[in-house]
Amino acid sequence: MISLPVVLGVGAVMFGIGLYGVLGQTNAIMVMMGVELMLGASMLNLIGFMRYAWPDAASGAFFVLIVMTLMALEAAVGFALVISVFRNRRTAELDDLTDLKG
Amino acid sequence: MSSLGTALVFWPSAAIMLVTGLYVFRTASMARAGLLLLASLGVEGLIFLALASEFLGVLQLLMMSGEMVIMTFFMVMFMPDPGGLMGMDMTHEKRRSAALAVAVAVGLAVVAVVTDWPAQTLNGEAPDVRQIGFEVMGRSMFSFLFAGITILFAMVGGTLLAKHGGRLGLPAPGGDR
Repeated sequence: MISLPVVLGVGAVMFGIGLYGVLGQTNAIMVMMGVELMLGASMLNLIGFMRYAWPDAASGAFFVLIVMTLMALEAAVGFALVISVFRNRRTAELDDLTDLKG
Repeated sequence: MSSLGTALVFWPSAAIMLVTGLYVFRTASMARAGLLLLASLGVEGLIFLALASEFLGVLQLLMMSGEMVIMTFFMVMFMPDPGGLMGMDMTHEKRRSAALAVAVAVGLAVVAVVTDWPAQTLNGEAPDVRQIGFEVMGRSMFSFLFAGITILFAMVGGTLLAKHGGRLGLPAPGGDR
């Protein structure tokens, strides 16, 4: 019924949706949402490995905890950057931030 | 949970997770986008529960509900058109992004299917909270401590970045200080 390739396949589609958001959106917060979906896909993969490949190992759960931590950190630092950029530029649109463009 | 029960929870949850995840980037309303992301990642918690990871499933539901509500607030605050009523287009390179995303998703799915993964069946109980606790406080303790210190740095760094005048305390050019 459900197997590791099925879980990884669903994770791959979710990763693709997140990537579409990261590449296609112009607002910094929407890009962060795409990153959250990509990290969510990686967590799903880890859970799949934990359930179907190494079901007795508790270390897989630790990796998921680390990815959850990463999601929280990404949100915290990302929001701080958005606030900082918004204070200076009055916008969170990434297309307007071209100072380092060659 | 039996394999039938797992399938009954997994497939509808996976469908809802993917559809709501896609609609995050298709809706014009930012509040709706935040709530759709909350739905997507919350339903992912249900999948964790179905795959015998009760602790992580509950943790995912709790963390994402908090994080996504904060994200919705930020979106409403910083988006030029939070209600989606002005018909603003906040996308670029739509076709190329979609093409690359589809290519990556298909590539990953093909790798997932053709690879000969090790397969083991779950004998008895899945690792419970107690075993995860022993893992975190035993073999993986150094990594766990490192994660804690990283959270502390992110909190301090985030606060410094976000405060008035930035990390140097200087007035922002053209800002509201």
